[in-house]
Formats: sequence, structure tokens, C-alpha cells
Amino acid sequence: MIRYIDGPEVRITQNGELFLDVEFYFTKEKLVEVEAHRLFPKSGSGKYISLMTHDGEPLAVIRDLDNLDSDSANAVKNALSEYYMIPKIKRFISMSEKYQIWIWTVETDHGIISFEIRNHIVSVKPLYDGRVLIKDADDNRYEVPDINKLDKRSRRMLEPKL
Amino acid sequence: MQTITNKPFPGEFRQSYDKLFSQTAPLFTVVGDLSLKLSYKTNALCFTKERVYAFNTENGTEPEIIEYSEIEKTQVKRMYGNAAFFAEMKNGEKRILSRFTFAVASIADAASDFINAVNEKGYSDELIYPVENAYMHRRSFCPKCGRKLPRPDAECLNCKGKGKMFSKFAAYALPHKKMLIVCMLLSVFTTAMSLIPPYVTGYMVDDVLPDRNSALLIKMILALLGVYILQYSVTAVRSYLLRMTGDKIVIDLKKDIYGKSQHLPMSFYDKTSTGSVINRINSDTGTIQNFVLRVSQEAVVQLLTLIGILVIMICMNPKLTLFSLFPIPFVVIIGRVFGRKIGPRYMRLWRRGASISGLLTDTIPGIRVIKAFTNEEKTVNKFNDYCEEWMREDSKAAKIAGFFPAFMTFLVTCGSLVIWFSGGSYVIKGSDGFSVGLLVSFISYASMFYAPVSFFANFSDTYRNTLASAEKILDILDAEPEHDFGKGEIPERIDGKIEFKNVNFSFDRSKKVLSNVNLTIEPGDVVGIVGTTGSGKSTLINLIMRYYDDYEGEILVDGKNIKDIDLDYYRDQIGYVQQEPLMFRDTIFSNIAYGAGHVRVEQVLRAADIAHAHEFICRLPDAYDTVLGERGTGLSGGEKQRISIARAVMKNPAILIFDEATAAVDSETEHLIQEAIERLIRGRTTLMIAHRLSTLKNANKIAVVDKGEIIEFGSPEELMAKKGKYYKLIQIQSMGEQLMAQKRAENFE
Repeated sequence: MIRYIDGPEVRITQNGELFLDVEFYFTKEKLVEVEAHRLFPKSGSGKYISLMTHDGEPLAVIRDLDNLDSDSANAVKNALSEYYMIPKIKRFISMSEKYQIWIWTVETDHGIISFEIRNHIVSVKPLYDGRVLIKDADDNRYEVPDINKLDKRSRRMLEPKL
Repeated sequence: MQTITNKPFPGEFRQSYDKLFSQTAPLFTVVGDLSLKLSYKTNALCFTKERVYAFNTENGTEPEIIEYSEIEKTQVKRMYGNAAFFAEMKNGEKRILSRFTFAVASIADAASDFINAVNEKGYSDELIYPVENAYMHRRSFCPKCGRKLPRPDAECLNCKGKGKMFSKFAAYALPHKKMLIVCMLLSVFTTAMSLIPPYVTGYMVDDVLPDRNSALLIKMILALLGVYILQYSVTAVRSYLLRMTGDKIVIDLKKDIYGKSQHLPMSFYDKTSTGSVINRINSDTGTIQNFVLRVSQEAVVQLLTLIGILVIMICMNPKLTLFSLFPIPFVVIIGRVFGRKIGPRYMRLWRRGASISGLLTDTIPGIRVIKAFTNEEKTVNKFNDYCEEWMREDSKAAKIAGFFPAFMTFLVTCGSLVIWFSGGSYVIKGSDGFSVGLLVSFISYASMFYAPVSFFANFSDTYRNTLASAEKILDILDAEPEHDFGKGEIPERIDGKIEFKNVNFSFDRSKKVLSNVNLTIEPGDVVGIVGTTGSGKSTLINLIMRYYDDYEGEILVDGKNIKDIDLDYYRDQIGYVQQEPLMFRDTIFSNIAYGAGHVRVEQVLRAADIAHAHEFICRLPDAYDTVLGERGTGLSGGEKQRISIARAVMKNPAILIFDEATAAVDSETEHLIQEAIERLIRGRTTLMIAHRLSTLKNANKIAVVDKGEIIEFGSPEELMAKKGKYYKLIQIQSMGEQLMAQKRAENFE
């Protein structure tokens, strides 16, 4: 049976940047140094966060971060933001190609980065909600939050690749 | 000794680096690309024999220095879109020394192994070899030009040059080079021939007609006839030869690609949809053929034509030649604009086309699953949506493809008007010795001049190919549909009693696959179906699933003939887990929720949990959002099987069918799947086909099928007491197991 964490029955604190300690008020049970993983990293936002051991054994699932007390929710959010890095692309600076390997240079909320794309079909996935998910040759991920909100030049660069 | 590194050392730490390592350079460095706060900034780890220096922008330009002796263990932890170099200190503290994207992670692994090895055995020069090796082996950039390689340690395409790539394809043309040269010579001949008639026409207009010389006229006409006959018969022969050569080239290419595709590792197919492989074999080879033929032949011919006409026109009248060239820049510019506009459009169109063929390769081979989950309508709707999208994209492309060539032809026609105007003026004024004949032949030449520009638009072959494809599609469209939905009755509930009454069945009426099957299965029974391969076990299931309806006799569920029950409803009541479960190119979530309509998230999570799938799904970076068939997300057979069991759980069916569900997995996974099955079958009528009799320990009844007949049916104890076929099968299997155990024991000794 999956153990769900619904709301204020727990207190979650950070243990280092990446790990969490979970204390259950009623059972007095403690989970130490657990990792938080999103069960729906692409589609969901703050819902269904799995708490796991280092070895990947699932311990519990947080139904909704909004139901936790704010300190606990923040602790989980911090751990998640350390674990998940999906830079949001603000602007496309350049795209060049040689021998079918593309080099894209983009400005993201984490800074400017150049990465390589081997195959547009596999690496660039437009979603119906206007988001575009990008996976580079090294399996790093990027996201265009809304293609319609990009500037004209960036859109002109990206659109033919969709 | 030179420091091994993956990238040049970052400039901002250079000063401090030079100061620290003025005497002895570090053994190796790992240059990372993220700051500790996850911004794109360079950092570096420098490794010496005793300590590691961690340069991070957050700590200024001076490094953090950590002695290996303080470290308990190091580890590179891969997270989502980034990785971290962890050091677990002896005092229990966990420290992140550096962060980087996956581009650097593989090299950092070697560094981590190095520290752990030094701590374990003490430093020796030998420890550096694995690091060196790893850097070399995992090197993902070209040492010559620094460019990223297609895979670690691969040849660099950049340094290898286009010539070699081209020569690969040229290798296919090489065996046919004699024929290609013959074709080329024939082309030169026909081109030269085509240049004669306009000159003769001019001569006729200027000299033969004004002189009213009938004899010469007939001679000229006969000469022209001769030229035409020669020209077009040679053209016909050339076209035939060229086509045959082209076919040979493309067939060789197809055979090679197909041969290769059969030997590629499965990981390749996890990344690449079979639809696109099919497309490659079918369409892309055609593109290569087009390239080889068009570039080697047509382009050469067109170039010769161009030069020939230009020389003749300049000899005739250089000034007028200049006038007639005026549309050329426009034609070239518009051609380029057209290419730029239409290129991305065709790319998008191709993508939409690939989605359609992807859907087809998913759903046509997976038709059993679709039918089992009565998902026909959804699949059809999805297909329709894809087609609509393709249509929209095609209409945009069609607008461009229709407008531009017409505009180009218009420009070319304008060119001839210019010649009429300027040449006509010359003739009227009688200047420069410009005659009517000259003008006529000039216009003929000028019109031939533009042919090379528009020759790319001719695709008479496409028409023939389209006809052939249409024939194949009609074959399917005109075929009779299998079932009528919504016609049978819908019972309130199904308890799960199954009866076979005198059932006979054959696929092609030549050989009976099932003969005289009589069987009664009570609600809640767990029936193991055993028998040798080809004995008819799966056919029995196929009939229960109503994949085939044209059998003799009756199959009843809860006393009702299954042909009278609404097919949609009926199949919804059956959970079907196959030996090789089919996964669709969709998320794990959708794969589990497949056929279940609108579901709550937790229903899916619960189903996954019951099927023992939740645990491994949690461990995937994208968890339930993982798209199956995408790069790096191939699941093992056992994992797929558990997803398909979760899929069956979602349906909450009255009848469960397992078709060799554990045949393709190892015994540990089998154990997990067995557990999942045990949780699932409680209270449901269950049919299990199994080769390994150990899988049937839950069965309270066994049916032994042999050559299409049920030869034994009863509880395992009854059948054992009977000492018939089942008894023998058990004996053989346990004997086999004993032998195996004996062998293992011998090897052990």
C-alpha cells in the first residue's frame, strides 16, 4: 500500500541541500535523509511528491505541497529545486549546424548556455499548452515555458524545428 | 607529467591555480559547468595524489582543499538535468564539491572512483591508468577540433570530412559506373541534338521561305525529322537505362540498411520508433537515389545545355543575349526564397507524417490490445486528429508550393516578352543585320534556356508511385469490417463462469486447431492451461477474447453465448496480460490508464502498487511521466509485464487471462510478477497459460491441451493421481530441475 502524506500530520525539515528529514506527529516515526522526487515532473506542479531512500525505495507520497505547513512545504520545495534543474529558456541567441549536429545557444533563468542537438525530432517536443521540452545530446533538459511569449527572433529560430 | 583534463582550465581561477601548482601540476582536473547554486558557470576539481582542490565561484577564486584522508567515500549523484560530486566525510558530514550537467558527469565518475581507490589502497601510479583510460574512452569531443563526437570515442565527422560521407554513397553508384558513363554520354548527345532545331528554324525563316524554295524546305524538314527521331529514341534508351541503374542502386541500399537494421542492438530501437526505421528504408533510400541520379546525370545535362545555349546566343547577338538574361537573377532569388520557405514546411509536414506512421506502427501490430480494451474509437479519433493536423500543414505547404513555381514561370515568360520587344524593334528598324529568322531561333533558344530552372518541378514518377500506393490502401478500405459494435445485449454483471460446448476451430479450414472442446470453468476458478507449443492453448484464449468468431459450437459466459453479448462491454470485463506486453509510445501513466477512460491519479498509483510497479516507476527520473520508447527509457521485460498487470488491475475485470506472463523474465522478476498476480486474481475467474508448471501453484484446476483437444481437466491432485499427461509433464520438469541442481553442484565441487 502506498503511504500518503496528506497534510499537517508531518514536519519536514531539510538535511543538507538535497535531503529531507520527516517526522510524523502521531506515530512519532522519523524518516531521515530521504530524497524527494516528483512523480509527474513534466505535467504536475506541486502534487504527488515521492519520498525515497538513497537506494530508491519509495517510502511515502506527499499528495499536495499546498496542504503541508509552510515550513515543511518550503523544505520540500528547496530540496526539489536542488534536484531538478530544468532551465527555462528566455531567448534563443543562435543556432548553427555542421554535419547534422546543431549547436544552440540560449539564455535561460540559470544563465547562458550552449548545447548540442543531434536530432530535432527526438530532442524537441512541442506540447499543446505552448510549452516546448528540449533534451540535448547529453540528456540535459530545458523548457520553453510558452512559445508564444518568446520574442519574434527566437520564435523564428525555433518554429522551423517543431 | 601533463595534466589530464576535459576542458581548458577556467580563466577566473587561473591565477590561484598557477600559484598552487607552480611546482607540480595536478594529476587530472574535471572542469564543470554549473555553480553550486545551479547557474551556468565554470568550476573545477583538481586532483593530486593526496587531496582535491574544489574551485567554485561561490567560494571566490581560492579553492576549497580537502585531504583524501578526511573523506569516507565519494560519489557522483545524477539528478534531474544536473549532477553533483558528493563527498561523505569521515565526520559524517556530506559535502557537494562540484556540480555539473550530464555532459561532465561521466568523467566525474572516474574521478570519484580514483579517490575511493586511493583511500582504499593508497596512491600508486597504476590508479591513474583507469582515469586516463576513462578520459580517453569517455572522451566525447574530438582531440583535433574539439567538436562533440556522435558517441564517445567515435570518429569525428568534422575532421573526417564530407568527402568520405559522400564516398559512402558513391560506393553504391560505383558498380554501375559504366552504365552511368554511357547514360552521361547519351545525355551529351541528346543535348547537342536539341540545339540543332532552333538554328534550322531560323535558317528556314530567313532563307528558305523568302526564296520560296520548296525542294530545300522538304530537305530541311526531313533533316529536322531525322534529328528528332535520333534525339528522342536516344532519350528513350537513356531514360530506360538510367531508371534501371537507379533501381539497382536503391535496391542495394535498401538491402544494406535493412540488413543493418536487423543487427542493430535493441537499445537503438528503444530510441527510434519503428515507423521512422520503416520510413528510412522506404523513403530515404529514394532520396539518395534521387541525389545520385539527379546530381550525376540531370544536373550535368542541364549545365551542358545552359553553356551550349549561352555560347550560341552570344554568337548570334551578344546584346540581345544580355536582355534575355534579365529574369535570371529574379529566378535565382525567388528560387532561394522558395527553398527557404518550403524547407521548414516540408520538415513540419514530414513530422506530421511521421506521427501518423508512428501511430500506425503502434496500433496495427497492437490491434489485439486495442480490441481487448475496446479502444478502437479513441484510436480512430487520434488518427483522425493527426490526419487533420497533417492536412493543415500540407495546405500551408501547398500554398507556397503552388504560388512560387507559377510566379517563376511568369518571370520566365516575361523574359521572352523582353526579347520580343527588343528583338522585334531591331527587326523593324532593320538594324545590326537582325533578321526575323534570327529572332525566331533566339526565342527558341531562350525558352530552352529556362528549362534547367524548372526541371526540378517535374515528377512524373511520383504520379505512378501514388497510383501504386492507392491500390494498396483500397485493398484495406474495401475489406469487410470484423464486428458490429453496440448490437449485443449488456448483462448487469459478469460472474465469470465460462463454458465451451463442442467447439471446433481452424484458421484456414485445412487443419483443425481446436477439436471438440468441452470445458466448464466456475466463477472464481483459477485454471492453468498447459500443453506443448502449438497445442492450441493460445487459440483457446483467442476465442474467449473473441478475436475470432467463426468457430463451430458455442462459448458461454454466465450461460450466455458470447456472440450475443455486446463486444465492447464483453471485452471490458476481461483483463488480458500477454507474454510480450505491448507498450505504447506514451507516458507510463497513460500506458497504465490505457483503455480506462477518465481516471483519478490515485487509481493509477494504486494499480501500479498492486502490480509491484510503483517502486521502479518512482525510481525513473520522469516517474509516471516517463515516455516509453523514448531515449534511454527502455523498460525490462519484467517491468513492462508489471505495467501490463497494472493495466489489467485498472480494468477491475471479472475474468483474467495470463498468456505466458512470466515466460520471458528471470526467476526473481517472476517471483515479483507472481506476487502481483496473486494480489490481482483474488475472487476472479483466471486463466493462466504457462510453460513453467511452477507458475501454476495458485491454480485449483488444470486443463491439459494436446493437439487441439482437452485431454485432461481437473484439480492438480486429481490429475497427479491419474498419472496421465500432466503427471508426465510434472515428472519431466522436476527431473530437469533435479538435473540442473546436480550440474550446479558438480560445477561447484
